[in-house]
Amino acid sequence: MSSMAPVPWTEKYRPRSLSELVGNEDAKRKFIAWLNAFLKGEAKKKAALLYGPPGSGKTSLVHAVAHQFGWELIELNASDFRSREAIRNRVFGAATMGSLYGKRKIILIDEVDGISTKEDVGGLSALLELIEKSRYPVVLTANDPWDPKLRPLRNAVEMIEFKKLKKREIMQVLQEICKREGIECSRGVLSAIADNAKGDLRAAINDLQTIAMGKKRVDMADLNVLGDRAEQASMFDIVRTVLTARRPEQALAVLRLPGLDYEMLMLWLSENIPYQYQGSYRAIADAYEALSWADIMLARMKRKQIWQLLPYALELMTAGVASARDKPPYRFVKYSFPQKLKLLARTKNKREMFRVVGREVARRLHVSLETLRTDIVPFLRVIYENDPDMAEKIYRSLGLTKKEFEALIS
Amino acid sequence: MSTELWVEKYRPRTLDEIIDQEEIVARLKEFVRTKSMPHLLFAGPPGTGKTTAALALAHDLYGENWRENTLELNASDERGIEVIRRRIKEYARTLPIGDVPFKLVILDEADNMTSDAQQALRRTMELYSRTTRFILIANYISKIIEPIQSRCAIFRFQPLPKEAVIERLRWIAQQEGVEVDDEALEAIWEESQGDMRRAINILQSAAAIRKKVDVDTVYEALGKVKPREVREMLEAALKGDILGARDKLRALMYNYGLSGVDVIKLLHREVLSSRSPLRVNGLPLADLLVLIGDANYKIVEGADDEIQLMAVISKIALMAHEKKSK
Repeated sequence: MSSMAPVPWTEKYRPRSLSELVGNEDAKRKFIAWLNAFLKGEAKKKAALLYGPPGSGKTSLVHAVAHQFGWELIELNASDFRSREAIRNRVFGAATMGSLYGKRKIILIDEVDGISTKEDVGGLSALLELIEKSRYPVVLTANDPWDPKLRPLRNAVEMIEFKKLKKREIMQVLQEICKREGIECSRGVLSAIADNAKGDLRAAINDLQTIAMGKKRVDMADLNVLGDRAEQASMFDIVRTVLTARRPEQALAVLRLPGLDYEMLMLWLSENIPYQYQGSYRAIADAYEALSWADIMLARMKRKQIWQLLPYALELMTAGVASARDKPPYRFVKYSFPQKLKLLARTKNKREMFRVVGREVARRLHVSLETLRTDIVPFLRVIYENDPDMAEKIYRSLGLTKKEFEALIS
Repeated sequence: MSTELWVEKYRPRTLDEIIDQEEIVARLKEFVRTKSMPHLLFAGPPGTGKTTAALALAHDLYGENWRENTLELNASDERGIEVIRRRIKEYARTLPIGDVPFKLVILDEADNMTSDAQQALRRTMELYSRTTRFILIANYISKIIEPIQSRCAIFRFQPLPKEAVIERLRWIAQQEGVEVDDEALEAIWEESQGDMRRAINILQSAAAIRKKVDVDTVYEALGKVKPREVREMLEAALKGDILGARDKLRALMYNYGLSGVDVIKLLHREVLSSRSPLRVNGLPLADLLVLIGDANYKIVEGADDEIQLMAVISKIALMAHEKKSK
């Protein structure tokens, strides 16, 4: 066994059925429910986005389902160049045409957050088109679904969250692999590997293979070859680091993280300052003051193209926020995703309706849409609530239906 | 069919019907008589009759087919100067119908254009000056670039005097079979300060509540016009309930669709109102004005609305807290 070409154990032991896949029971259930709805033509969304940290089983779930049900798996992954052409050539035909043998298919686009808006020209819009037209379920995976560039995608998919695997679950898989490889391995070693993997099963299996392949037994001494796995910091951790920093340097440290999305960080901080600093009005006001200045620096930087302003913006939103006076003593706070983004997505249709109906009304009344919104609609609302007859005369004379009028004033 | 919204229903159609602004109307009538005019710039606060005067001038110049000879644009709604130029170009290609040798372009809210866009507009005005005349409408003349100002005859519209507004309101009420007493009219004047559009809107919404409009009806209508959430947001902030205040702010921005500047304007009005919880709580007026004016500046500069307004809310909470603990 050990002398053969080294098949990665992560592939060799990929689960071949749902029952073999450990952890994330909620996500599994949600995914199966969505698939069932899709097959019955009842799914609200035509695609599912499985998101969560690396090695939590997103891709494996899709493989397991395809294998168990005998579906053809059509896959495009991170290493493919995902331009409009690639998506069209590789999957479009397969997704829209029936299969030769009447076999069902499932389409997997892995790591969509890796699509670069620069290089993968049109990739995202091609993806949306694919979802729209596909006859088969389309499944996407991502580590960070809140990436602003994925915004159009988020509306089109069923979002299914994967969490880091628990240590116990990782150990269970490692033990099973050791058994099948015929390796003797103490619980202490497995426990150390699992700890080091920090919830990433793929990392744990890779580590196990690194130290155990070709051996009959593994002990603690073999662990030395493994490096510490740096945990990829999540937004939660970054926010926590900034808001609970005791020295400015601790907050500044987050700026060294590769690929830090500072505009997203601002929204996350704004969302969570009142939770973390609850009880100290001084701290909340100071933190917002610093954040508002960071925001101004960014606006000036972008508008006037003065790129030297970026460091000030970054320092203000980290060290500046962290240096708020009278911070309350540290306590654990469960952070919340920026509601602003959710609310904007939810009210998008409403705002669009207002624009469509409002444009014509504004023209009739010789005012701008903005003036209509601020100077006329509030009065229409009062009229509608108090004198429906008068309101009806008004909207009829403006050529509106009741529904359109309600869209205007709601 | 004329609309049943009174501001539109009772908008004067001809120059003769316009009340007040006599000097302006007299000069506009002269343009009609001679069938010639320069480009015009109408400047003045909202609700003083700028758009009405432009439309009435168009009506008097061209008679019933004034619409064919008039292009109405609103700079705030058109997407950029390129769109405006294209529309003017298409429109100016054909000759005017009738015996007036030019067509009209009415460009409302022209002061919302950037100075670069105004430069481009100036070139467009020159390009088509043989066949078109422009009427630019603005709240603030200082926001119109000098080269455009120098090419226009400038008309300054003043807030309408109290008697004229009250007389007009009384006449409209009579037409509509609505009773309105003097005290109510006085209150409407107080709240509109020469802004005819606001005055008529207040009257109509009060009449929707009760056909007999007294001063209480007026205040009831005004209370309902302003989104409840503004005052609730301030009350929450003053109590120190920052999260509650944020919920109200979000209702204003994402449900009502108000922009950050709209919310700032409402806050500004709130600071100046003696009944406002801010004033009742005795926060220093000058500090509040600096706070809100500063946020206004920052939002106009392009910053994130929600973050800036949360900075204001948290500062108000802090001010109220410090006042209490003194």
